[in-house]
Amino acid sequence: MTTLADTAIDPPRRFSLGTAIRRNPTIAFGGVLLAILVLVGVFAHLIAGDPLRLSPVNRLRPPSERWWFGTDQFGRDVFSRSVYGARVSLIVGISVAAISCVLGLLLGLVCGYFRRVDAIVMRVMDGIMAIPSILLAIALITLTRPGLTIVIIAIVIPEVPRIVRVVRAVVLSIRSQPYIESAIAGGTKNAKLLWRHVLPNTMAPLIVQGTYVCASAMLIEAGLSFLGAGVPPEVPSWGNIIAQGRTFFQIAPWTILIPGAFLALTVLAVNLLGDGLRDRLDPRLARRL
Amino acid sequence: MSVDAVPVLQVRDLRTYFNTLDGVVRAVDGVTFDVGRGETLGIVGESGCGKSVTALSILRLIPPETGRIVGGSIRFDGRELVGLDEAEMKSLRGHRISMIFQEPMTSLNPVLTVGTQIAENVVRHLGVSWRQGLDRAREMLELVRIADAARRLDEYPHQLSGGMRQRVMIAIALSCEPRVLIADEPTTALDVTIQAQILDLMLELKEKLGTAIVLITHDLGVIAETAERVVVMYAGRKVEEASVSSLFAQPMHPYTRGLMRAIPRLDIEADTAGRRPRLQEIPGLVPILTRPIPGCAFADRCGFATDRCRAERPPSVEVRPGHEVACWETARVAEAA
Amino acid sequence: MSTAPVLEVQGLVKHFPILGGLLQRRVGEVRAVDGVSFSIARGETLGLVGESGCGKSTIGKVVLKLIEPTAGRILLGGEDVSSLKPGAMWAHRRRIQTIFQDPYSALNPRLPSGTLVGEPLENFGLARGAELGERVAKLFERVGLRPDAMRKFAHEFSGGQRQRLGIAKALSVNPDLIVADEPVSALDVSVQAQVLNLLIDLQEEYGLAYLFISHDLAVMRHISHRIAVMYLGRIVELTTKRALFEGHLHPYTEALLSAATAPDPARRKRRRRIVQGDVPSPAKPPPGCHFHTRCPYAIAECRTLAPPLIEVAPGHHVACHRRPVGGGPHPLSTTV
Repeated sequence: MTTLADTAIDPPRRFSLGTAIRRNPTIAFGGVLLAILVLVGVFAHLIAGDPLRLSPVNRLRPPSERWWFGTDQFGRDVFSRSVYGARVSLIVGISVAAISCVLGLLLGLVCGYFRRVDAIVMRVMDGIMAIPSILLAIALITLTRPGLTIVIIAIVIPEVPRIVRVVRAVVLSIRSQPYIESAIAGGTKNAKLLWRHVLPNTMAPLIVQGTYVCASAMLIEAGLSFLGAGVPPEVPSWGNIIAQGRTFFQIAPWTILIPGAFLALTVLAVNLLGDGLRDRLDPRLARRL
Repeated sequence: MSVDAVPVLQVRDLRTYFNTLDGVVRAVDGVTFDVGRGETLGIVGESGCGKSVTALSILRLIPPETGRIVGGSIRFDGRELVGLDEAEMKSLRGHRISMIFQEPMTSLNPVLTVGTQIAENVVRHLGVSWRQGLDRAREMLELVRIADAARRLDEYPHQLSGGMRQRVMIAIALSCEPRVLIADEPTTALDVTIQAQILDLMLELKEKLGTAIVLITHDLGVIAETAERVVVMYAGRKVEEASVSSLFAQPMHPYTRGLMRAIPRLDIEADTAGRRPRLQEIPGLVPILTRPIPGCAFADRCGFATDRCRAERPPSVEVRPGHEVACWETARVAEAA
Repeated sequence: MSTAPVLEVQGLVKHFPILGGLLQRRVGEVRAVDGVSFSIARGETLGLVGESGCGKSTIGKVVLKLIEPTAGRILLGGEDVSSLKPGAMWAHRRRIQTIFQDPYSALNPRLPSGTLVGEPLENFGLARGAELGERVAKLFERVGLRPDAMRKFAHEFSGGQRQRLGIAKALSVNPDLIVADEPVSALDVSVQAQVLNLLIDLQEEYGLAYLFISHDLAVMRHISHRIAVMYLGRIVELTTKRALFEGHLHPYTEALLSAATAPDPARRKRRRRIVQGDVPSPAKPPPGCHFHTRCPYAIAECRTLAPPLIEVAPGHHVACHRRPVGGGPHPLSTTV
């Protein structure tokens, strides 16, 4: 009988908020900022007044105590509109990220694992990636009725190949890991191998990529709305607000700067979160102490 | 004492610590040794014993964001290296002190030819013309016995085999005729027959150029066949230092003894019945270096340990001429044979 | 119990295609394994030794059917499995398990160690639920780990402990043969001893056979019963441990032995015969005997004609044109 090898290794550290923030300042900052913006979006109806209420008397008022961020050319409150804009942006960002992650994960797993399917699916993906995403979206939207759903679909299509490529690359590298060979030698069959050994190891890069897709979806949505190919003009999205304010930029710059700042801040929060997660979840970087 | 007897490198009570999120890692914790002119000193120990950090400390290559030399002194040719400014350190590195690493592929620049990389070092440190630098490069490749040196000058690292790359590393390291060559696991990544070639080459060049070598390795076999003197390290500390013959004939530290009994021997047959003898195991694990170790670092795994071993750190004491050991129980260990 | 060898390999060949050009056409091939035959008896350790690129690890993967052989037969307990599709191979996997070199990448980082060790038991339907837990706990104890460590993840173990986990996993389904690919070369000396001792103990206890792949001759001498020396995809010498160390016949074996270091400064004075040059690329092996480019004894015949592996004495196989006729003492042989 061999002696018991010493298993005395550090006891698991108890979770402490202070340590967590100190270790991942980027995640903490991005996360808190994003959480605030999400709360603003969710409780927009409590925070802000009616974003659609016209008040022709009070057109293009500068920021003041009554209209924190001023009013636009129809006298609508820019603060209320920007707060409701968070809703639209976040819905677009999060749903695009979620949908394209799910689709991308499925296709990526299949491509990375079954090499015969790979050749076909990847050529299709390459084809989609060759189409400029904004043009594809405009084409789709002009062919149908503008609306939130169609905007989301239009953005998802060009984003999916990006996720597929990431997942596929990860799966290919996992496939050659000794622990996969070890599992096969131990009699693990394909389905279980994918579910138990491959899938969990794709999660970290997928989540990171998901945050980038989320940020880029919000920017594309704003861009589409600005071009008039996004959500209907009456919906207060940041892109719409900026588009409508642009004629009056010189007399009422706040109509553009305020929603612009919201958009920049949101994208920044999501990207910070993504960068932080990447550093945290990438084992090669994490091992660097 | 004659001038020649002054060691070229004197390391005194070197302490290099790293700040990690888990606390301060005492990677090198009070290490002292000398390297004589033209001598081959072996530093041996298992992973995490601080042997590589010692080498990086001598060259002052500890990444400043995480680690620093917190104490001790490193004197090279009478000159203090701890605290020397970076510009002066740069003029020493690759010139008077140079280093070769385990994986030659990562230490060679993949987009520059071999000749350029050698010539660059020569031109930088010796201030000769590029033409002279390239001549020197060819000379060095011939010296490290790379066949067809003139043609190899224009090749890129990826065109060379592993053994050849290590030869190029040696050529770069020796191109300015350094006083000290630090070799960190120079043959670990190489095949057995290539390892033998490289070790022989290093020793031959040492004789030819009079360079002192600090050979860092985990392999007692490599030490036995190349070093003149040996420092055994454990958990950031020197536990034993002796001439190679004295160390292998009569290891005095329980850790050194444990190591020697743990390795399967190429040169000793099992027994006449062909039964495989059990290797002696060293129980337990290396201590965690973030926790202060008041006593001997090996105490927890040592069969001779007493309360004193756990409480008080043993000093390095000379037990035979030129044979130092850091152990409170030397007498009992010696008796146990 | 059958008397057939637990593993028999006949004329095994594995060529990897080299793809090149824009269209990824096959432009050549790496002859990783080039006609290898051997067998392993129950309870025996056969060592495969050689330098990098000699094909020893590829043999390990091919006999495990992790990669498909190009040609040749693999017989597990007398049954030919060489052409079985993955589905049909599955049932045979119970008999042949594996331990990998790198204990850091051979364990899925995202599963608790107990689940990993118990996975083969689960896969073959040998245990489930509470019984599975008990069997895994017993395995942990057998390899020297505390059963309460079952809930820990791979990164919470040291290198040696991870290798113990790998052994426990391989052991779980009670195989006849374990393919151990460099199982101790990533470990520190003191830990290496623990793992080697464990492997030997388990062999004696369960009558396991090992195909032990390593580049380290000292480890080989310690653990193997018979040793096959490989060079560029071929076995050049195959014999008992004692005959190999004391009466080796192939010049490459001699080169390996004389190049290996030993912890004994006195050995330094012996005349070392260091072979010069590098191992040629397995994509372009030299014609004839692969070793002739570095062999000090090569004659004209060696450059053109590959020497067959011939039994020159009972159980002693050599592939060398300059082998002694009739199995007498070889002029090259020296004791180490």
